[in-house]
Amino acid sequence: MGDKTDVWQGTLSLMVLRTLETMGAQHGYGLARRIEQTSGDLLQLNYGTLYPALLKLEQEGFIRSNWGTSENNRKAKFYELTKAGHRQLKRAAAEWEQTTNILARFLTPAEES
Amino acid sequence: MRKLRALILRLRGMINSRGSEADFAAEIESHVALHTEDGIRAGLTRAEARRQALIRLGGAEQTRQAHRNRRTLPVLESLLRDHSYAFRTLSKHPGATAIAILSIGLGIGANATIFSMVSRFVLRPAPMGDPTRLLALHTTHEGDRCCNPFSLPQYNDLRDHAKSFSGVAAYYELIPASISGYGDPERVWGQGVTSNFFSVTELPMQLGWGFVQGEESAPVVVLGSALWHRRFNADPQIVGKPVVLSGHTYTVVGVVSPAFHGADQILYTEFWVPMGNLAQLVPNLPDQASLEFHWVEVLARLAPGVTRTQAAAELKTMASRFALSNPKTDNNSRIVFEQAGSLPSNIHANVVLFFSALSIVVLLVLFIAGANVANLLLAQAASRQRDMAVRLALGATRARLRRQMLMESLLLGLCGGLMGVLLSLWATAVLSSSRLPAPVPLDVQIGIDWRVLLYSLALSVVSGLLLGVAPAWAASRPMLANALKGEDALARPGRRISLRNLLVVAQVAMSVVLLCVTGLFLRSLQSAASINIGFRPQNVLIASIDPRVHGYTAERTAQFLTLLRRQVAALPGVESAVITDVAPLSDGNRSDVFSVLGHAAKDSSSANSDLYMVTPGYFEALGIPRVAGRDFGGESLNGPKTAIVNRAFVDGVFGGENPIGRQVTGGGATYQIIGVAANTKSRSLGEETRPILYRFLDQSIASDPSLMGYTLVIHATGDPSTVQDAVRRHIHALDSTMAIYNEETMEQHVRTAYFLPRLAATLFGTFGFIGLVLASVGLYGVMSYSVSRRAREIGIRMALGAKPGSVERLVLRQGMVLTLIAVALGWPAAWMLAKTASSFLYGIQPHDTLTFALVPPFLAVLALAACYIPARRAAQIEPMQALRTE
Repeated sequence: MGDKTDVWQGTLSLMVLRTLETMGAQHGYGLARRIEQTSGDLLQLNYGTLYPALLKLEQEGFIRSNWGTSENNRKAKFYELTKAGHRQLKRAAAEWEQTTNILARFLTPAEES
Repeated sequence: MRKLRALILRLRGMINSRGSEADFAAEIESHVALHTEDGIRAGLTRAEARRQALIRLGGAEQTRQAHRNRRTLPVLESLLRDHSYAFRTLSKHPGATAIAILSIGLGIGANATIFSMVSRFVLRPAPMGDPTRLLALHTTHEGDRCCNPFSLPQYNDLRDHAKSFSGVAAYYELIPASISGYGDPERVWGQGVTSNFFSVTELPMQLGWGFVQGEESAPVVVLGSALWHRRFNADPQIVGKPVVLSGHTYTVVGVVSPAFHGADQILYTEFWVPMGNLAQLVPNLPDQASLEFHWVEVLARLAPGVTRTQAAAELKTMASRFALSNPKTDNNSRIVFEQAGSLPSNIHANVVLFFSALSIVVLLVLFIAGANVANLLLAQAASRQRDMAVRLALGATRARLRRQMLMESLLLGLCGGLMGVLLSLWATAVLSSSRLPAPVPLDVQIGIDWRVLLYSLALSVVSGLLLGVAPAWAASRPMLANALKGEDALARPGRRISLRNLLVVAQVAMSVVLLCVTGLFLRSLQSAASINIGFRPQNVLIASIDPRVHGYTAERTAQFLTLLRRQVAALPGVESAVITDVAPLSDGNRSDVFSVLGHAAKDSSSANSDLYMVTPGYFEALGIPRVAGRDFGGESLNGPKTAIVNRAFVDGVFGGENPIGRQVTGGGATYQIIGVAANTKSRSLGEETRPILYRFLDQSIASDPSLMGYTLVIHATGDPSTVQDAVRRHIHALDSTMAIYNEETMEQHVRTAYFLPRLAATLFGTFGFIGLVLASVGLYGVMSYSVSRRAREIGIRMALGAKPGSVERLVLRQGMVLTLIAVALGWPAAWMLAKTASSFLYGIQPHDTLTFALVPPFLAVLALAACYIPARRAAQIEPMQALRTE
């Protein structure tokens, strides 16, 4: 598929939570599409890998699911964030930011001089 | 928390699988549909759009599988699948499975039974509050064997001044009493305790509240639970009611919890009274202020925050201070302690040794059983190679196959464990009901408690897993191509030593050890049975009464006994009736050091001899030969005391010279010797011959009465149990409240004395037998299997001209070589182990020639028999048949 990068399970969860926060309730296909877009098409995942990740988030109580209808009157399963999901998103995002900050110090020593 | 929630949901997901599948299928379908629509909008055809959608999805089947793995717990699912597969496989071979479960069951049952004894006597804490902080104190003298009780003044000193303890209580160990009212008078045993006993031990009460602090002499009593149930029908209003003990009235103030029978867990006591009442219940009680008599046991509870080391240091100081202020009596004495309720330290070592020996033996039995089952499983694994090969070819991993085999053997182990627990339930019930040869009441109930169950579970799991290792490894190694062709993929040509043969050699070696141990104990029993006890137990009845606890004075007791003697002797069917204090082989009663009158005990010979009170005719009644002098009779009651001694006494005190007419002193009295009797056993079967002095009962009953009651010895013309009722009636006619106890025929009494050698012989004999059967079966199995695997080879040999006889010899030789190696290994091991058993054997040496000489040939013959049948089968193989079959 070219030089697009692979995605970890954990970062995928973070992306899903963030997307749901900004987009509101969305179905699996829409979510996958949106994630692709947000990454600037740098990410290309098999849409199928989203579903086990969604199930995990649902089992852990960060999102909930409901059958509903899409814009074109199609039946689809919609996912939305729970309160716990909001908290988890904030927490995970902060951790990620801290990690990248620390790593940045190591990876830019040229700044010293 | 999140993870737990997820886990629970995944477990639930396993249950409602089908509904969730359909739900997800719909979701996937809607996903593809949405994607298809987008594709159509972008200009693709419907078919092309759908194709693109499916490609981007990444494969519907994979997605479904990934989702499913997340929805359920795949690990658990495959474990359950393995389990049901194992179950099905085992049910297909019911015979082999039954044998396997039985073997393991026997092994684990034996282990569980022995462990329940260990749990009861070594591990179980006393049923008192927080037993780890309760200590039992003892005094001991330098150079003496441990352990002695305390004198009352020293206890008072501890109670008043020891800072490490929140409370120090004392008790007098054993009081016999007769309880009357509410039925036939019954003999019960109790303890005299200080008023703080129940609060120091933190004993929970079923009813009532125990003793109040400070009321050391109140006429109150606390009952044991069994007594309360048995005699008072568990009357809930019992508190406050009066109870008559040995003629004195006490008010019930409490009933203890059912598990408590006394602080030391071995004695079985049923009532507790404050110590001030002891003078009423125990005659000849030592002067309470005396420093010489050590007669109270002491319990102390550690104060909060105090460690044992600190307490030990304080006790050391207090002991030396006490020794300094009382140099005459307490010089060089120390105080030692152990946790309350543990075995007394003087028998602790022996008991632990006994249990260790037993535990090793039963572990051997388990190993032999396990080896059998392992061989069985190996045989099965070999015949399932094709099955395994097919599954490997279809994509199963070897790890998966191994897991499955382990699951099978684990299942066998667990079923065997269950059977073992059931067997041990039966065995412990049988053991609990046995009577021990002791004059005091002992609590020897054993049962299956949680410790035993845990131990059995652990053994089952470990056995199951260990058993499975060999077959699992074997099952995962077949070379695919050969196995599919039906050949024996496990046999590697040129390999002489196979795992199966190793196992069999180990089994047989262990059987050698077991058999030698069994042989030793059987010989010990035989030797015990042929011990000459010195008297004739046939046709003799004994029954004991204790007039003292009924408040009889010495005079009244003497009158009672004389009257009773005369009346019973006159009964039809009775040859003679005599009275003694304690019957022989009852673990003894009194002993004193005797020496010739006029010589101090140190310079001339003296002997520590047992003391018995008897009436005229005693020796004839028991068939003890009198070898010199005369019997009692005709002496005046207040005249010089007379005594008859046994041969050992004569040798010990007089050096073998004629003692008749001479005088000896001991135990505070002087006796003139009027006769000599043959030696008999005095206290127990295994003892060395003891010197015995028999004194005339009528002369001593006033000055030195028996503290354990008196025993009527009745020599009947026929079966002694026929006169039992008549004797009871006569006793009760004289006094209807007199409690009668230890009623039995002398033969029964002597049988009880054989309890220990019988127990050892039974236990080790049973285990030896089981081990032997299992090993023989194992040997037979291996030989049989070997013949069937080599059928083709044998067929070829016979086709090439070998005679049936030589084929037989071939198989037999193979089997006997294995046996010989096993015996060569096992015999030296047994020789070395036998040393440790020497303290349990009666009258035979641990390296008993007969046993060690007989066992190898016996085993060889058995092995020959076990190999014979497969050898015959080998000889009967039709060469053509063998060559044709696969």
